[in-house]
Amino acid sequence: MNGQQNVIRIDSDICTGCGRCKDVCPVGAVEGVQGTPHSIREDVCVLCGQCVQQCSAFASFYEQHPACIAEKKRERGLFVSEAAPLFAAWHTGDAPRVASRLAEGCHSMVQCAPAVRAAIGEEFGMPAGALTPGRLAAALRRLGFDRVYDTNFAADLTIMEEGSELLQRMEGAGPLPMFTSCCPAWVRYAEQQFPDLLEHLSSCKSPQQMAGAVFKSYGAQLDGVDPRQVFSVAVMPCTCKKAEAQRPGMEHDGVRDVDAVLTTGELAAMLRQAHIDFAALPDEPFDRPLGSYSGAGNIFGLTGGVMEAALRTAYELVTGEPVPCTELVYVRGGEGIRHATLTMDGRTFRVAVVAGLQHVRPLLEAVRAGTCDVDFVEVMCCPQGCISGGGQPKVLLPFQRDEVYAARKAALYRHDAELACRKSHENPQVQALYREFLGEPLGHVSHNLLHTVYGQTR
Amino acid sequence: MQSQLSDFVVADASRCIGCRVCEVACAVAHTATGKEHPVAGNLDSPLLPRLYLVRTPLATAPVQCRHCEDAPCAASCPAGAIRRKDGALVVEEARCVGCKTCMLACPFGAVELVPVYAQGRAVMQTVQTEDGGVCTVSPVMVAVKCDMCTGRQAGPACVQACPRGALRMAAVSDLRRRRCAQAAAGLAKYVTALHPEDGRS
Repeated sequence: MNGQQNVIRIDSDICTGCGRCKDVCPVGAVEGVQGTPHSIREDVCVLCGQCVQQCSAFASFYEQHPACIAEKKRERGLFVSEAAPLFAAWHTGDAPRVASRLAEGCHSMVQCAPAVRAAIGEEFGMPAGALTPGRLAAALRRLGFDRVYDTNFAADLTIMEEGSELLQRMEGAGPLPMFTSCCPAWVRYAEQQFPDLLEHLSSCKSPQQMAGAVFKSYGAQLDGVDPRQVFSVAVMPCTCKKAEAQRPGMEHDGVRDVDAVLTTGELAAMLRQAHIDFAALPDEPFDRPLGSYSGAGNIFGLTGGVMEAALRTAYELVTGEPVPCTELVYVRGGEGIRHATLTMDGRTFRVAVVAGLQHVRPLLEAVRAGTCDVDFVEVMCCPQGCISGGGQPKVLLPFQRDEVYAARKAALYRHDAELACRKSHENPQVQALYREFLGEPLGHVSHNLLHTVYGQTR
Repeated sequence: MQSQLSDFVVADASRCIGCRVCEVACAVAHTATGKEHPVAGNLDSPLLPRLYLVRTPLATAPVQCRHCEDAPCAASCPAGAIRRKDGALVVEEARCVGCKTCMLACPFGAVELVPVYAQGRAVMQTVQTEDGGVCTVSPVMVAVKCDMCTGRQAGPACVQACPRGALRMAAVSDLRRRRCAQAAAGLAKYVTALHPEDGRS
């Protein structure tokens, strides 16, 4: 349980008690008197890291002793030579640990979330919205990862499993509405605040955990290595993913799905540490088969993306015909809640998309009261989805945040539009995985590897 | 003669929450990186703001240069490194010798000496030591102070970034005229009451 706690912290030496973190905390987990250092209620915090993005109280060059700064960097899990300023709100770091494990030599497999490729360029002076999947793959290879795979592949896999689960529930196999379970901050919130509604959560693991589980089973088989020898690393725009990887149940036969989670910012720090000039790297492909992805998998990184990806596939599974227009713009949008209906085979299908965890409570109360008239709900904790996650590059000027997030979103939609394959079920490598290893969605192997029981907190 | 007093940035302590966004924005505006959307990870130097958040039991507010008309910093600078440019007192870093006289002279503590950074590293200089001319190195230090972001299209970065609207450009001559106008309006009633025999009501 250690990893599930204290991922997000506030340094009382640096905090000025300005209270701006309270403005962005979706769950009211920050407490403190104006002008005095604030603290985080661990029993309420969902580890989303929005406070880390918002915090502007930094350790002043004029006030803090260098030795004290170096000590803080060690405590935070940062490279001591990193130049980035230290802010009061911070998340625990894993980059030095991952770097030394890679240096020791191990069979390493890495995945990176969709939102990472639309933001990491900012860490190297590229403009906001620079889309860099090819450089990202090259960079991970230069760091020494043996297999450069992709969370996007697992996002496609999630659609296969979650879409099938939804259709089963619509046949009466489980309660509706069904909620997505990709966002660990949302799952944590549901577990803390609405434990009576957990059967409404999809039993699917998140794409991060599905990827890790497949790496250490099918991936290890392909490479002819013992799953226990595989070092599985995830690069995420998210701070809560660090805790998710430590959750009970996120393992198989005692082998953890994911061994270490780095944020986008931490990966950038590792690259700088290794003197890899990201902007100058050539475009390289992700490794096959677990690095192939569709446009649908790629838009998991923004609010409405999981819904849009699910509908592209569900429509076809239900009607036997492709969705008339691939771009389901009516589920796209920004922070808040939006509803849409879709008619498939004569049946009206009602969906809702929530961006920003503070907007989900009325919906959950309606479910509790039995008055919620929705079949499927996507919930993302962060205001614009994962592109605005707590582990993304930290925009220094608050008035630029909206335009930077808009540029990252546009980049992921652009990437979706330029890919030849735009539906999860058409991803040939996902099809091959089912053919060669998993059998069918919701089958026995899937059940063991790709699904979990939420509500286990220890 | 119409007064041509220098403007300056001033903080309203009743609005300031002590978040240091002004310091971050100031530091970023004065780095040479030229990145359009700076992020914490790709700064080429520590954050070296030119205004200073002060937190005391009495007040929380940033303090910065008043661009004094008599400018003791400029008057005391032996290298002639501090000059008025477009209404702002600006340090010409190339002339600064790091003598700190301006720090002594400034009554507001608005001047600081900082290392010079280039390509992510502090620029070093050779210095002769007392014992027989052995050379050692130390960082080049120069005086920095608020330059009111002269040349920045959106105006001072701190004013633009403050999330509580606690910072603004104080155009003191305009402010005085406005206050005089308000005072005159208030006085109108008072003076009438003093002389009821004038017959104005």
